[in-house]
Amino acid sequence: MKKILFLLFIAFTSCSKDHPVDEDGLLITSRAECYVSNFELLGVDFQTVRTKNAVIDTTACTIDVTVFYGTDLKNLYPQFTLVTDAKLDPKITGKVDFSDLANPKSYTVISGNRKVRKTYKVLITVQSK
Amino acid sequence: MRNIVIILLLLVTACKDKDYTVPVPKDALQNDCIKRTLGPNVAGLNIEFAYAMALPLNKGKIVSAQVEASIAGATGTYLENKSYYTNGSGVDVGIQIGDPSVNENNFTKVNFTKDTNAVTLRYYYIIPKEAQGKSVTFTFSAKSSDGEAVSYKMGPYVISKMDMVLDLPVKDGDFISIANMAVYNLADAATKTDKLDLVYLFRSIPNISFGHALVSPGGEPDYLPNVTLPTGANKITKVSKVWNLRDFHLARLQYGIYIDDLDFEQLKMSDAPDYAINLKAEAGTWIETADGKYRAYIYINKASDANKNAVISMKRYTLK
Repeated sequence: MKKILFLLFIAFTSCSKDHPVDEDGLLITSRAECYVSNFELLGVDFQTVRTKNAVIDTTACTIDVTVFYGTDLKNLYPQFTLVTDAKLDPKITGKVDFSDLANPKSYTVISGNRKVRKTYKVLITVQSK
Repeated sequence: MRNIVIILLLLVTACKDKDYTVPVPKDALQNDCIKRTLGPNVAGLNIEFAYAMALPLNKGKIVSAQVEASIAGATGTYLENKSYYTNGSGVDVGIQIGDPSVNENNFTKVNFTKDTNAVTLRYYYIIPKEAQGKSVTFTFSAKSSDGEAVSYKMGPYVISKMDMVLDLPVKDGDFISIANMAVYNLADAATKTDKLDLVYLFRSIPNISFGHALVSPGGEPDYLPNVTLPTGANKITKVSKVWNLRDFHLARLQYGIYIDDLDFEQLKMSDAPDYAINLKAEAGTWIETADGKYRAYIYINKASDANKNAVISMKRYTLK
């Protein structure tokens, strides 16, 4: 009986919250790194529209991406790869309209400890003839 | 300890197999049926069934089999007069059991000429155009020499509203009409300007990937380089590129994917562009006509850069 009580005690204590979570239910960690490590841009057919790898400047916080001639900029799916534990704001929930080239879209990367925020601009260049 | 022994004993006895007994067949004429085709039922294609019937040897033989369709099948509808078995090489070998089937109004009938007491016959119902958007049911029936009769109902099956056309050759500068589901060259297109929804073109332009393209005649001139348009051809058709959607009916490849009425009904085309360039073989495009009357899926079966041509197949759904 004593053993059972001991086991129950262990089970209860192991369920207690050791780590805080943020408003999205994601774990807040101690990591302060805050950058985009890779960027992909897909068309409505889920094929890449990049002509080459995107150039990510983690100092200037810009992502330069050149897309194929004729890319439908109104219907694109961006995909960000972030450093461990970081998250993106705003969240990407579907197609994004990148057609306003004069006003590039901005996305904020938030570090794992939720204390560092860096806003990246996605600068799109359409391949010209 | 004794309890544990009892539980174990129960578990062991519970695993004992029952003795197998050979099932006793019913002493009467019986039948069964399965539908063999998959995917939406499109006018012009067939629905295939396998209808099995049998009676004990001492009861006599089968004298006839027939199918009644609630909507008469189109020309080419038939009930097999052969029963097939698969030989050692995997080839289906047919054995004739009766005269070729006869179609009369909604009925398709085979009269048996061989002494047969068990057979499976295939039935191919060619879906008629007038059945589009309706449901069709089938009643399979068989009669034996001792006067018995059995029947088996199948369905109802909804017939798709889609129209389909296969393997239209297109060459650089041709026009595609969704309304007519046809391809026209420049000369023919001049008389049908109100029906021209897309231009097919192939361009090899340095530094960019243009390739095979479907462009609205009224769209951006940038995407219609050196294209001669008939006067009045100015429709703006919505076009959305798709990859990996190799519809089984259109592509006739090994992929079991079917575009159905529901896909066209739920398609969101409001923000689609009016062109699609850099298309490849096995790619496709969703289309919505300028008047919003039709939605279509154009699949590219073949595309040749050298010959600047392609072969396309199309499924079309009428919205209005």
